[in-house]
Amino acid sequence: MPDWVEPVVRYILEVGLPATLKVSAISVVGASLIGMVLGTLLTIQFLLSRVVIRGYIEVFRGLPILVTVFMVYFGLPAIAPTLEFGPLTATSIALILWGSAQVAEATRGAVGSIPREQHEAAAALGFGWIGRQRSVILPQAYRRLLPPLVGLLVNIIQNSTLAAVIGGIELLQAAKSQSERLTVFPPAGIGEIHAVEILGFVMVLFFLISFPLTRLAAYLERRLV
Amino acid sequence: MLAVYDLGAFVSENWRELLDGFENTIKVSAIAVVGASLVGLVLGAARAHRIPVVSQLAAVYVEVIRNTPILVQIFMVYFALPQIGIRLDAFTAAWVAVTIWGGAFNTENFRAGFEAVPQRYREAGLALGFSPFTTFLNVTLPIGGRISLPSSINTYISVVKNTSLMYVIGYPELTTTAINIANLTLETLEALTVLGIVYLTLVWSLSAAIRLLEARLALPESR
Repeated sequence: MPDWVEPVVRYILEVGLPATLKVSAISVVGASLIGMVLGTLLTIQFLLSRVVIRGYIEVFRGLPILVTVFMVYFGLPAIAPTLEFGPLTATSIALILWGSAQVAEATRGAVGSIPREQHEAAAALGFGWIGRQRSVILPQAYRRLLPPLVGLLVNIIQNSTLAAVIGGIELLQAAKSQSERLTVFPPAGIGEIHAVEILGFVMVLFFLISFPLTRLAAYLERRLV
Repeated sequence: MLAVYDLGAFVSENWRELLDGFENTIKVSAIAVVGASLVGLVLGAARAHRIPVVSQLAAVYVEVIRNTPILVQIFMVYFALPQIGIRLDAFTAAWVAVTIWGGAFNTENFRAGFEAVPQRYREAGLALGFSPFTTFLNVTLPIGGRISLPSSINTYISVVKNTSLMYVIGYPELTTTAINIANLTLETLEALTVLGIVYLTLVWSLSAAIRLLEARLALPESR
């Protein structure tokens, strides 16, 4: 293998990959928690909170995620200087805003998909409204969320590359900077272009992470339905 | 803040450029929607009818595109292909990248739609003397196409949103245009407001139009 390969691979795996995994992990946990709370609240028939949550969902599902990233990264500091975040944090915040809107919509659907008989049976057994939700409806509904949450994880991992647009060093940005370094003349680089190999390597990495997860999501979907 | 927030002034000073950017967004989206429909139709039919070799290659194409970030795909098309002698200008790279992406998702949408058409309908078509191809055109396509409509339309909306990623290759669609203006004039919040309003209006009206269309095109039994 040529000499240039080893340091490039090492930088991508040691600097880029951990950043991608960290942003993805934080975003998927944050998005799931906020999304499940919002989605559950949405099923409660209280007009004001429903209008607000509906608006939140429609806005963050409607915006291209890159625009949300720009809003967090460029927009928030323009409103208040204390709201300045690094590229990776800003990307996580944007992914949480987008992801939680997706999860809220999925949660609403899952709760709505529990048959009415379950409510009636629980009421007949003497459960109050809160007991009915907590012990009968929500446990079943949240189980149905598992496949969409795995799907969300795949989407979040892929969309964490948006950090590269604002200079956050994750997989894609690490690959890009190494690919650019190689094109420079020695001693920094070798004066050669190897973008196909390096970006190809990043594609393979993403594929190896995503493919098992999409299979898992499909499998869970079949099992839980 | 350096200046007072003034959306009206921002728009009146830059509307010509913003409109050009919006037109480019629509242009790339329109080409990609048509392209992704053709790709999805042909490969989705090949997948559903298990046409040897084509079906397997289409499956690989779908899995590769769905399991890698579109941003990496865009980088590949614009920054890596020149290494092997394929040089695309930003506009071509933009519509090629989103067409490849949308085509993969649409292949899956159409495959599912075509496979949902009951086998007996096709058998009836063949029994009436239609060739396999005309059976596809007259039976599988009109029914399966309508079944796959909701999911393929979601793909089209994603295609429109993904054109914003062309910012990374400097193609002057709406996002690139607005951010470039903001970089010059420091009117960041105004630029972001314009982006938010335009994209939400576009996406929301597409979804609304689609719900109407869906109701009209839905199969009679599912009405």
